[in-house]
Amino acid sequence: MVPIACQTRNLSVAYRADPVLRRVNFSVPVGSVMGIVGPNGAGKSTLIKAMLGLVTPLTGASEFFGKPLDQVRRRVGYMSQSTSVDWDFPTTVLDLVTMGTYGELGWIRRPGKAERDRAMAALEQTGIPDLADRQIGELSGGQRQRAFLARTLVQAPDLYFMDEPFQGIDAKSQQAMIDVLKDLTAQGKTIVIVHHHLATVRDYCDHVTLINVGVVASGPAEETFTKENIRTAYEVRSGAEAFLETAV
Amino acid sequence: MSFLLGTSLLAIITALACALPGVFVVLRRNSMLVEGIAHAVLPGIVVGYAFTLDLDSPWLIVGAALAGLLVVLCNEWLIRTGLLIGDAPQGLVFPALFAAGVIMITLDFNHVHLHTHVVLIGDLNLAAFQQLTVNGVSIGPQYLYVMLAVLVVNVAFIALFYPRLKLTTFDNEFATVLGMRTGLLNTAFMFLVSVTVVAAFHAAGALLVISLLVAPGATAHLISRRLSVLLVLTAVFAIVGALAGFWIAYALNAATSAVMAVFYGFMFVAVAVADTLATRVRRHRRTEATSARRHRPTHGKTDSAHSP
Repeated sequence: MVPIACQTRNLSVAYRADPVLRRVNFSVPVGSVMGIVGPNGAGKSTLIKAMLGLVTPLTGASEFFGKPLDQVRRRVGYMSQSTSVDWDFPTTVLDLVTMGTYGELGWIRRPGKAERDRAMAALEQTGIPDLADRQIGELSGGQRQRAFLARTLVQAPDLYFMDEPFQGIDAKSQQAMIDVLKDLTAQGKTIVIVHHHLATVRDYCDHVTLINVGVVASGPAEETFTKENIRTAYEVRSGAEAFLETAV
Repeated sequence: MSFLLGTSLLAIITALACALPGVFVVLRRNSMLVEGIAHAVLPGIVVGYAFTLDLDSPWLIVGAALAGLLVVLCNEWLIRTGLLIGDAPQGLVFPALFAAGVIMITLDFNHVHLHTHVVLIGDLNLAAFQQLTVNGVSIGPQYLYVMLAVLVVNVAFIALFYPRLKLTTFDNEFATVLGMRTGLLNTAFMFLVSVTVVAAFHAAGALLVISLLVAPGATAHLISRRLSVLLVLTAVFAIVGALAGFWIAYALNAATSAVMAVFYGFMFVAVAVADTLATRVRRHRRTEATSARRHRPTHGKTDSAHSP
């Protein structure tokens, strides 16, 4: 049996009286690319955040490589949505990527040459080493995502959580990101990716978890990413039917 | 030390002590939370003053700073409950605490005699009145050394925790996932801001202390592309504003903190206008250079493919 990289048990989240996630159970096999797919407001980002301790769950727990997050933080990386930060912040791209090493530095140590070298290598991996000295506000949408990906790469985790990494990016950046993802899977890394574009789910993900507050289906893409399941998850509304015809 | 020299030094040290943590207040978009702290510390100050009869007493400063921290914690708690949205929790917490302080003063709590204008805008000259003497020689206002201590603590905190402070300010979620104790660092930082606000209260009052905290950092932010540069420029703007504010107030015989705050406002506008003009000139030159290049035959040399 393939070992499990991460799983949730009975994970529920509510904002006041409104349930955002209801008793979510799913597991991600090591080495897979798991797409978290569902309509807007289905709780896709919240699921990742609750797993990583950024949102306090009402019930349930998450495990990473069979352990609670606190014991395996170094093995888990998180790439948030690029809209979650202030891009006017006075810092350079290299500085931003170096932040990925801060977890190893302890309370007061500062990043040195070794950390900056690693950051530079991560920038090369994502194809934007020439932007290292730019102020982060000068980056385009795609470049921002690549810088964020580089910041996660620099941690060299075994399990990657990515929240909408393909949101609003140009074709060139998209290809650069896909190349990196392919490299990672070739190295046996596990990737959990929040994705909302139904037509490309099969291109990126070999596993899919369809959610809409609760889990509709979770497992290998060919078994779970079916018209039937998608229809259930999307409650066939807001033009999803048209997508279904072309996507699956 | 002459009274003028001592008081102008006091203005500079107070401005610096406020402006440096103020950089992170600006970047964290917490300016109005600090405004809340500046009001909420009033009951702490009144009670502390009633017992110590000294606005510069360390007991009063720490006690009242805890009252300020109460606003931060109540605010966070109210946000977590989801009962209120946006910054409404601040509007709920700090006026209530400030009003409690006002009631205490009007009821003559323990015979406290605090003047309204001291509460609102402080009084730098009054604060500088009590001189510290060593062997019969005056070495400047006693209050100068209180603010100097606050400045040293603030600089030490920022220097020591610089990487963490930077990351939690820029991306608190990422810092949390890395396993940093973000809550502890943020609370420690807000406590320090609270101590600074209380300490500066004597000089700038509940209304104007926010200007000392926010204005130099906000001005420097207009033209800084690195955090280290931002901190240095903030210090420069704080010193210039303090000196100019002090001497203009002296010449006009006006309230020092008020003139400082107004001068800071002018400084922000001046830098904003200068920056906009400079950007326009740069852009104009670039367009001219590009069109000049277009008229020359080129050999496949293009700008960086990554320019946004």
